[in-house]
Amino acid sequence: MAGRVIVITSGKGGVGKTTTSANIGTALAKEGYKVVLIDTDLGLRNLDLLLGLENRIVYTIVDVIEERCKLKQALVKDKKNPNLSLLAAAQTRDKSAVNAEQLKEICDKLKEKNDFVLVDCPAGIEQGFQNAIAGASEAIVVTTPEMSAIRDADRIIGLLNTKEEITSTRLLLNRVRPNLIKNNEMMSVDDVVGILEIPLLGIIPEDTGIITSTNKGEPIVNDEHSLAGQAYRNIAKRTLGEEVPFLDLDEPKGIVAKIKNVFAKLKAKV
Amino acid sequence: MGLLTDFYNTVAKFFRPQEEIVDEASKSVATNRLKLVLMQDRTNLTPKILEQMRGELVDLLSKYLEMDKELLELNFEQEGDQVALMLSIPVIRAKDEEEIEKAIAEAAEKKAEEAVAEDEGSEEEETEETNEDSESENEDLEEEVAEAETVEESEVSEEIESVSEDMEVDANSEPVPTKTNSVKKVEKDLKESTKV
Ligand SMILES: Nc1ncnc2c1ncn2[C@@H]1O[C@H](COP(=O)(O)OP(=O)(O)OP(=O)(O)O)[C@@H](O)[C@H]1O
Ligand SMILES: [Mg+2]
Repeated sequence: MAGRVIVITSGKGGVGKTTTSANIGTALAKEGYKVVLIDTDLGLRNLDLLLGLENRIVYTIVDVIEERCKLKQALVKDKKNPNLSLLAAAQTRDKSAVNAEQLKEICDKLKEKNDFVLVDCPAGIEQGFQNAIAGASEAIVVTTPEMSAIRDADRIIGLLNTKEEITSTRLLLNRVRPNLIKNNEMMSVDDVVGILEIPLLGIIPEDTGIITSTNKGEPIVNDEHSLAGQAYRNIAKRTLGEEVPFLDLDEPKGIVAKIKNVFAKLKAKV
Repeated sequence: MGLLTDFYNTVAKFFRPQEEIVDEASKSVATNRLKLVLMQDRTNLTPKILEQMRGELVDLLSKYLEMDKELLELNFEQEGDQVALMLSIPVIRAKDEEEIEKAIAEAAEKKAEEAVAEDEGSEEEETEETNEDSESENEDLEEEVAEAETVEESEVSEEIESVSEDMEVDANSEPVPTKTNSVKKVEKDLKESTKV
């Protein structure tokens, strides 16, 4: 078996890479696939917290690379789902403890025995980013509808395009606020997709439930009633090749809004 | 009466798009600014290259127009869905056909000289320095020619003015910035005016 290695990256920090990794990973495992999550954010590890696994970590990726343990020993199984496991980042080391070749080797080994290897990338475009993408053949670029995040995403997309091994780069738009978009105070999904010009994998609304789910150490996909959870479940399905319609968050509703919209467009052309 | 005005206001408000426009500004300003900055990020058009482009455009347009080279602006601007390269040229006056022909001939001559200089340069690297010297001399010379031209200016520009009133060219007033499309117009008008 040769599983898929997907890197989750963004350029700008704090836009939701780790949240996305935890949720897509959990959703895919719930669908019955074997999934390994790799935290490559050395020195700033967080994926363990989001999954509620922080107390179970004995070995880290650096221990594997420096041969203090076997790869298998360093994989921490999820509490609920035995299909899901985590390879944690070392908290006491920095990015230079690992190089791209070593990470690629780990990805190659892991994909032999798993359906999915999801790599949570650190922010930035330096060594940490180069390491994280080294073993990947697909990428998910996470951004929010803000100028600075989009600009950084564009830079990342440019860098990913130069990597032959990466055959698919898709966009995940996070923290979308329908109310702001309705009032034209925030860029819409169409605006962002139009600018970045890569296929859209999914849209996640801004959701306070994400904060409480982090507090509890349980990804929001496990919450059947959450809209963000639904959005992540849809993304997992699209990753598996299913066609799932996007959540309709951005279009102003109702006839008055539509008429207003026409006016706005007319005016914009003048 | 009150009822009627209320009704009128409600209807008028419904058809008034202003509110919407104010709101839209924030998002569309962001979109437009982003498109511009990404255009520069993606193309690697460095300030140095833009400066070079600007210089070459000045050389080209100087054949046809007399302008305030210092005030010439070259910028990217957002126009609807497209990014446009906008050239703003403060035109002092348009040149007449004779001048244009002369300028074109001069430019061709200079180009030929440069080509010769380049050939020599590739054969013998030592000559490079002297080439540079002669080039800067050329520039000085050109400036002198340009100055000489401005002396005759008033008569010619009067003629042009009378022919094309809508043209933003006036020898006596401050230089007026015009956009690229008006450059074409100036050229066209110029041809027409000289025919008359
Ligand atoms: N859709 C959302 N709604 C509300 N809060 C969110 C959403 N997505 C992410 N957040 C919050 O944003 C913060 C940053 O998220 P996260 O850690 O996943 O980002 P990151 O890209 O991994 O950051 P870093 O670059 O530091 O690794 C967290 O506090 C998270 O709870
Ligand atoms: Mg993170």
